[in-house]
Amino acid sequence: MQHELLIGLSSAEVEQVMALGTRITVPSGGALFKLGDPADRIFLVERGRIQLTLPMQVRGREEEILVEEKSPGQTVGWSALIPPHRFTLSARAPLTTEATALPRERLQQYLEGSPRTAYKISSNLALVIGRRLQLLQTMWLREMQRTIEQRSAAEAR
Amino acid sequence: MEMLLMALCMSAFAVLVAALAFRAATGPAESAESVKPALPAKPAVPARFFAGRIPPIVPPRPQVPIEVLLREIEDHVRLEQAAAESFVDFPTEALLYCKTTSPLVN
Repeated sequence: MQHELLIGLSSAEVEQVMALGTRITVPSGGALFKLGDPADRIFLVERGRIQLTLPMQVRGREEEILVEEKSPGQTVGWSALIPPHRFTLSARAPLTTEATALPRERLQQYLEGSPRTAYKISSNLALVIGRRLQLLQTMWLREMQRTIEQRSAAEAR
Repeated sequence: MEMLLMALCMSAFAVLVAALAFRAATGPAESAESVKPALPAKPAVPARFFAGRIPPIVPPRPQVPIEVLLREIEDHVRLEQAAAESFVDFPTEALLYCKTTSPLVN
């Protein structure tokens, strides 16, 4: 499987990066991390699925509401590479899920000694972050459009 | 002797007054109501006479169980994410504002 964070790397580079991490298993319903936790690892989803959630008040109850889902090959927890290194969402596994956890310090040490790999990974990370920004911007705009339409309809009555 | 008779009379008078007051306070209400003249029926006037617009009567939506609501929210987010991905992959205004079938907003 090709990880979006490692696209463009040689097989040797991929092996070296993957060797920095550890394989973890999140049981069904388990939490990978929680909003506000220190972000010291970035995760590459290997199998299963990860749901990114944010807390929302629903009928007076605080509920974790799905914001985005991540599938095998995708990257979760890039807050580990972006200051202030705290997760801005919570992540949970709706089914038994496996991921490779890459510790920030080990990854940074490796990348400092491998500028080419560092450049590729940084470019891929920019794509991951940019994609998230575009998706959420689109979703936000659609919700705004609906809100305006509802308000216009109410005013016309 | 006179004093005793006077005290007895005053006690009897006080008991009589108290009994009358009690009856007046606890007596059937309809006796007072029944003597009132029948009021003319109120004309059907809009509740908000001075308001420019009368809000339409919208039947309240039956409240679904919270589990169903949470499922609707999740499905809505998935549909919106799919719509957003379609737009980001091929940006057009039509795709940006394509309608959703999500029951949460319909």
